[in-house]
Amino acid sequence: MHHSHLDRFAHEDSPVHRLDARAKLVAVVAYTVVAISFNRYAVTELAPLAVLPLAMLWFGGIPTRFALKRVLVLSPFILFVCLLSPWYDRVPREFAVGTWHVTLAGGWLTSVDIAAKFTLGVLALTALMSTTPFSLIIESARRFGAPRVLLMQLGFLYRYIFVLVDEAMRVRRARDFRGAALAPAGRRLTAVGGIIGNLFVRTLDRSERIHLAMTARGWTGTPPGLDLLRFRWTDAVFLIASAAYLVLCRWPGLWKG
Amino acid sequence: MILAMHMANELLNIPIAAVTILIAAGFVAIAAALARRSLTTERLPLMGVVGAFVFAAQMINFTLPGMPGTSGHLGGGVLLAIILGPWAAIVAMAAILVVQCLLFQDGGLLALGCNILNMGVVPCLTGWGLYRALLGPVSTARPWRQYLAAWAACILGVAGGAALVPFEAGFSGVLRVPTVSFLALMVGVHLIIGFVEGLITFVVVAYLRQVRPVSLGLAAADASGGRLSRGMVAASLLATAALLAAVVAWFASASPDGLEWCTTEHRWAGADRAVEEPSSAVAAVNAWQTRWSLMPDYSRRPAPLGEDPAAPASTTAAKASVVKPWGSLAGLLGTAVTLGIVWSAATLLRRRKTIRSS
Repeated sequence: MHHSHLDRFAHEDSPVHRLDARAKLVAVVAYTVVAISFNRYAVTELAPLAVLPLAMLWFGGIPTRFALKRVLVLSPFILFVCLLSPWYDRVPREFAVGTWHVTLAGGWLTSVDIAAKFTLGVLALTALMSTTPFSLIIESARRFGAPRVLLMQLGFLYRYIFVLVDEAMRVRRARDFRGAALAPAGRRLTAVGGIIGNLFVRTLDRSERIHLAMTARGWTGTPPGLDLLRFRWTDAVFLIASAAYLVLCRWPGLWKG
Repeated sequence: MILAMHMANELLNIPIAAVTILIAAGFVAIAAALARRSLTTERLPLMGVVGAFVFAAQMINFTLPGMPGTSGHLGGGVLLAIILGPWAAIVAMAAILVVQCLLFQDGGLLALGCNILNMGVVPCLTGWGLYRALLGPVSTARPWRQYLAAWAACILGVAGGAALVPFEAGFSGVLRVPTVSFLALMVGVHLIIGFVEGLITFVVVAYLRQVRPVSLGLAAADASGGRLSRGMVAASLLATAALLAAVVAWFASASPDGLEWCTTEHRWAGADRAVEEPSSAVAAVNAWQTRWSLMPDYSRRPAPLGEDPAAPASTTAAKASVVKPWGSLAGLLGTAVTLGIVWSAATLLRRRKTIRSS
């Protein structure tokens, strides 16, 4: 069942996993801001940005192939935008690496740029989420002052995705075994409506049972959580290093200046 | 068939991302406050669990007739708005989009504001608004009217949310694709997606009306009127198709002018306005960057084919924003070397760890 592979690396152990969730969250958000702040024709300047996510993946023991597969799976919409771009922006622009100079339509540079930023963004998010359990992300968002109601919804959502998706996959398999693909379209449609409606009714009932169970265990409206977040000196080192790295990526001239 | 239309970071610039995140956060805060008032405490887990339900419902696919190889599934926003009311639906959709962004990496971190607006706030509010406008009094709604209202609400909600994407990308100035033709494409595609979404929502509403009418706000069970008859399905199919045709016709009549305008504009862009710097602030940053990047160390070797590194910013702006061949080569090489070192260090560490543990 594919959903169990969503954050399958998050509970392993490595130097990156042991970093504080808040430090990683801040670093990845700052990284994303830096990545999209580049000019749309700045293709080569994006290259150094590949270091941080790849380093997090490698030191975290996450297979790079897994992360790249995520990029591929998510790419259709962005590919479509990339393909549109050269069509409209045909102003020639000079592009140079070393002594190798090419004059390209600006649209091609833009598409490469968008694709590169997309890849980097997905790699960084994958690196964050496969080295950090989701509950710790929620906990750090709470420390940063995110609204309580939304965080509670996120907690419930994460907890019950697996339960309900399992249920849905069982029902779907049952439907497919009964030869649903051979049925006429109208019948198939009403079957889908029935299944989804039934899932919804079961969800309503389940949420009432959950509430009863929680009340029985003394729930008062605030989710109890173990205090698992520790900000250690390694986190400080990680944050300072990432900040210096991001500043140097954004303004490479500072290297000597 | 129904591709995710989650926006990615790359289509936004920082000011637009910041503004949309603020707007979305405001909407979610208001929605959370209003939803808490309308939902009783024992239904408080409901919003979160219903979010999980949307993920589960997306597993149930429907093979589209006449288009082999494609299948549609429920998006969920409008259905949630119909059942839970718009405010609880917005909170649930926001949670869903956060999880999709973090766990599935679907939609960018900074585009989260845009995605909550496009796929949460707009579909829930407009969809629910149209649904209630078409429905009239809820507790005594007639079946065909309810199904049609749900269907129309889905089409409006999905297409309305998608219509925001080109504007957000356009204002960000990242794309050179003209906003109007991007808009025509997005709305066109999402009218079809909304049609399929509406079809599924229609059937789900019909099922719920039959099995648990209270969840739709109906007064009492209405076993006779709730059943889907073939004639009723056909009639509402026709009516929705007519509605869709009207919308498409309106759009098609508006669009050719827009497209024509775009192409002439494009030709103008090719001939005259070679490069437009988006704003003076960006130009200033570029100039600053050019000044700082052309440090002697990077450009010490004379570039045989390149232009003068000391060229003023105005001429570089006429050709390409920043051309610094040696700098970029150095950057690429440096990146490769750094990555090599990081990778071998990580592999060595890992190997040592496994040896020690075995």
